[in-house]
Amino acid sequence: MSHSPSQALRPMSSSALLKFIRAYGQETAVLLSLLVIVVVVSLINPNYLGPANINNMVAGNAYIAVAAIGMTMIILLGHIDVAIGALIGVLASIAGTLAVSGYPVWVCWLVPVLVGVFIEAVVGVLVAYARIPAIVVTLGVVSILKGGLITVTQGVWISNLPPEFLIAQFRLFGIPSPVYFMILLTIAAGVWMRYAPFGRAIYAVGGNVEAARTVGIRPERLTVGVFALHGMFAGIAAVLFGTQLQVIQSTVPNNLELTIITASVIGGVSIIGGRGTVYGSTLAAIFFSAVSSALVFLNISAYWLRAVLGVLILATVLADAMRRRQIH
Amino acid sequence: MTCLLELSNISKSFASVRVLTGVNFDVRPGEVHALMGENGAGKSTMIKIVAGVLTPSGGEMRVNGEAVQFSSPKEANARGIATVYQEMLLFPDLTVAENIFLGHAPRGSVGHIDWRSMRAKARVLLDSLDSPDLDVDAVVGTLSVANRQRVEIAKALSQDARIVIMDEPTAALAETDAKRLLDIVRRLRDRGVGIIYVSHRMAEIFAIADRITVLRDGVMIGTRNRDEVDQPTLVSMMVGRDIAQLYPKAEVTLGDVLLETRDLCCNERVRNVSLSVRAGEIVGIAGLIGAGRTELALTMFGITPATAGEIRIGGEAVTIRSPREARDLGIAYIPEDRGRQGLVKAQTIRENIIHPILDRISRYFLVSLRKERSLAVQSIKQLSIRTWGADQIAGQLSGGNQQKVVVAKWLGTKPRILIMDEPTRGIDVGAKAEIYTLMGELARDGIAIIMISSELPEVLGMSDRIMVMNEGKLVAEIPRAEATLESVGAAMTHSARHQEIER
Amino acid sequence: MLSRYVFRHETILALLLVLALALSANLSDRFFTVDNLLNQGRMLTEVGIIAIAMTFVIITGGIDLSVGSILGLSAITLGVVWKTLGVPLPLAMVVAVLAGAVCGAVNGVIIIKSRMPPMIATLGTLALYRGLAEGISQARSVRGYPEWFFVLGQGEFFGVPTQLWVFGLLVVVAAIILGYMTFGRVTYAVGANETAARFSGMNVDRAKLLIYTASGSMAALAAVIFVSRVSTTRSDMGMGIEMDAISAVVLGGTSIFGGRGTMIGTLLGILLIQTMKNGLTLAGVKGDGTIIVIGSILILTILISNLVNRKRD
Repeated sequence: MSHSPSQALRPMSSSALLKFIRAYGQETAVLLSLLVIVVVVSLINPNYLGPANINNMVAGNAYIAVAAIGMTMIILLGHIDVAIGALIGVLASIAGTLAVSGYPVWVCWLVPVLVGVFIEAVVGVLVAYARIPAIVVTLGVVSILKGGLITVTQGVWISNLPPEFLIAQFRLFGIPSPVYFMILLTIAAGVWMRYAPFGRAIYAVGGNVEAARTVGIRPERLTVGVFALHGMFAGIAAVLFGTQLQVIQSTVPNNLELTIITASVIGGVSIIGGRGTVYGSTLAAIFFSAVSSALVFLNISAYWLRAVLGVLILATVLADAMRRRQIH
Repeated sequence: MTCLLELSNISKSFASVRVLTGVNFDVRPGEVHALMGENGAGKSTMIKIVAGVLTPSGGEMRVNGEAVQFSSPKEANARGIATVYQEMLLFPDLTVAENIFLGHAPRGSVGHIDWRSMRAKARVLLDSLDSPDLDVDAVVGTLSVANRQRVEIAKALSQDARIVIMDEPTAALAETDAKRLLDIVRRLRDRGVGIIYVSHRMAEIFAIADRITVLRDGVMIGTRNRDEVDQPTLVSMMVGRDIAQLYPKAEVTLGDVLLETRDLCCNERVRNVSLSVRAGEIVGIAGLIGAGRTELALTMFGITPATAGEIRIGGEAVTIRSPREARDLGIAYIPEDRGRQGLVKAQTIRENIIHPILDRISRYFLVSLRKERSLAVQSIKQLSIRTWGADQIAGQLSGGNQQKVVVAKWLGTKPRILIMDEPTRGIDVGAKAEIYTLMGELARDGIAIIMISSELPEVLGMSDRIMVMNEGKLVAEIPRAEATLESVGAAMTHSARHQEIER
Repeated sequence: MLSRYVFRHETILALLLVLALALSANLSDRFFTVDNLLNQGRMLTEVGIIAIAMTFVIITGGIDLSVGSILGLSAITLGVVWKTLGVPLPLAMVVAVLAGAVCGAVNGVIIIKSRMPPMIATLGTLALYRGLAEGISQARSVRGYPEWFFVLGQGEFFGVPTQLWVFGLLVVVAAIILGYMTFGRVTYAVGANETAARFSGMNVDRAKLLIYTASGSMAALAAVIFVSRVSTTRSDMGMGIEMDAISAVVLGGTSIFGGRGTMIGTLLGILLIQTMKNGLTLAGVKGDGTIIVIGSILILTILISNLVNRKRD
């Protein structure tokens, strides 16, 4: 790094807005893209902004946003979880099975969350203490969960779910409950990661493990804790996912884990750790459903959706890579 | 007067290797105690023990007269010991304020981090360090080296440190920034803080230290008051033998000019460098970290190709766009960072040695295992690499032997021009002597050697000519006869900018 | 020491494989029949071919998540170029493989030029290539391939399934390249220490580009064999196959951090997975139950290897 004294002496005055954009650049970019899409598409087809569609757009991907909160923390630490899709499927089936077996609804909602915490904590232990790379552990976990799910359910859909169990279909002031979950959990996680010492420690470990150790953080413990927390969000996401419809299928959408990881990455989490917030990942999840819904309203075949998302991922990450190279 | 810190008879071993033996050391309130020694003398081990990163294998440590045992840096912090690390343990994506207070941030009513008070406290701290220009909200990754260092120091002080360890704090700083840093150190001292100050810069040591302790090969050679010693005494304490003996500079008749550069530039890092090296000549390049020495080498070696100017080899103008082209022109480069650039540590000596010549020892793209082995065995013998065999993993060797593998690997390319970047960094005195002897032999064989080094005694001892770089430019050329610690040191720290102004 | 370690990991695998074979034979007398074994060979070829290239990719410290999508896109290319554009089938097969090579090269260029982590770059192209396959095909399948085309996926050659010959040949070639050729040395050096490789005069970028291009080409070759085996082309072909291939490679002892791994290990990994799948199925375990065992074996093998490795350090 070349150094000149004049650089050190330059006064650094910048407006609050500039500071905000510098700190939340990616989040701002996602928000603006979302606004552009909404404005453009609604000009072409005003039905796009109909209340029913807005509810669909925001509520439909809420479980992805919730799962992406935990994923964001995992990626911030410099790890990854490719088993999240399978996990959501398993936890949703657990919830459904309990529900049709007549357990009280709170048990049906709570147990998947606890199981999620437990499974991810085990993953965390393997990653932090046995030092197996997270991608390897979770790759193995995918097989275990997927195999387990189909073996146990025999691929049969769970139907006849009691209506009081279907929490994702509850509404308050006409707004579906997943929207509340998404917003509240995002804000709670965002505030926690900004103001709680534990939350800040995630950034510290992701940014520089050795430096984190010197300020008294124990990276191994933290890693297990963050994985457990991620399991909790997975559990909540699974309950929201499983109660969307009247039945629980024994499969999850293809590549669900990749969609969740993508939401985190597009939302501004640096894949090498240390930077990003959960606001961005939630905005990105909404952005995905806005795009997929836009295709419908623009009369474009939905089969192009994934190609569009692919281009978006590449464009975002390329822009990030470019920006970072300019800094260095 | 009670000492802030007292080490008595401290030892440390790694596996079976002894790196510190019976060291006694103390720090008094309001003093700067300098710690000196060559690379590998045990300074960093000692610092890490005080900072709680390492636990000593033997001996006793007292803080304010109380015996202590640290099992983590956090415990050392709690006793008022803070460290400003050379590699700067900062979080590049976080702000200045948070870097300073991470781990002990001011808390609000519900245990949350009080950002407002954290930023305010950071501001006060930085102001007290005479750094009002440093924005507490700036992201550390975007700061200059000097500013990061201020953040490190602020971080150390934020915990009311009574003892501050500074590990080569000025190694990467230009003169103005270095001066500013010394001012900060004086402020701390005047507040009664005890400072352990590690540095290679003699002038600096004499400007700021109250006492000086010298380590060599893990043993304490002695502690002196500043007024009691002069530079030559310190150097001989550090090197441990007569300089002429350590640096076997052989008289070699110089041949033709092998390598010549004319106004060589690489972006802003190398500016209009013109130099020439003859067969059999050793040219030393001195300068501060970041002066553009390594960048110059990388330009000549094709890693970062030249953006302007000319390179001539044997009188012919050439373009070098990659290390492969450099190799084919007879240039070899022993890089500065052995572990990262020089070797594939996870591979065997045998595999490493043929890396630069894969194409030359293969036929139809098939590697000749026979040639590979014989070359490795021959190199091990020639450079007396201490190993159980060619199949030993390079990373398992000692630093000195790893360095010999890097040298062997590049000698295998049959170079005519050898660029050595910090050739003896982090290796023991014995291996150093072997490297110096080898350099002498290579020069005698007619190889032109460019040696980049931050160890001034080494530069003075081995070079026929010394070039000094500063801010990407060659600022001085000093023949062997006129070179002294003072003349070279002065040229190094004297900013090129200043020279222009003075002229 | 490194070679000793690798040897050790492969020994564990080989023992596991023998154990799995013995158990399978014990559980069902249908296991050790020529028909069954050859049929298993058919089943493992597509993942196997992809895993060969994936071994190189992972040894360089990279990863290629997009291979499943490339498989899908190449399959669609084959169908569309032949049926819709009316190009002769042999030529369409070449075009399909070329399409895969281009996809792989695009991965390589993105990774080299942007210095984006390979996982993210190929995550993006995973979505992109699959999306292109879906968009082009509009979820319509292509059928009606001529009889001769099925030789590749359903035919035999000297009593052995055709694709198994292809796989065997590729394994041998890849093993020679990795073990004995300069390119193999470059691959290991890039993965173990990219900077040192560059400083040693190796053309790191060219090596990476070649490897990612090969990865795409192998996925496309697997696509052609896949289409020939199942007599149809669909856009969801190969979905998730990247995870199977990566599992096999990692199980085979290739370090996910790069610099370490062998072709023999990958081969053992593939054989072990297929044997367990088949053995458990024959023993009456439901198809998807078998992958539980595979997942557990993956984690356990790496865990044991890690522990052994750490003790030796």
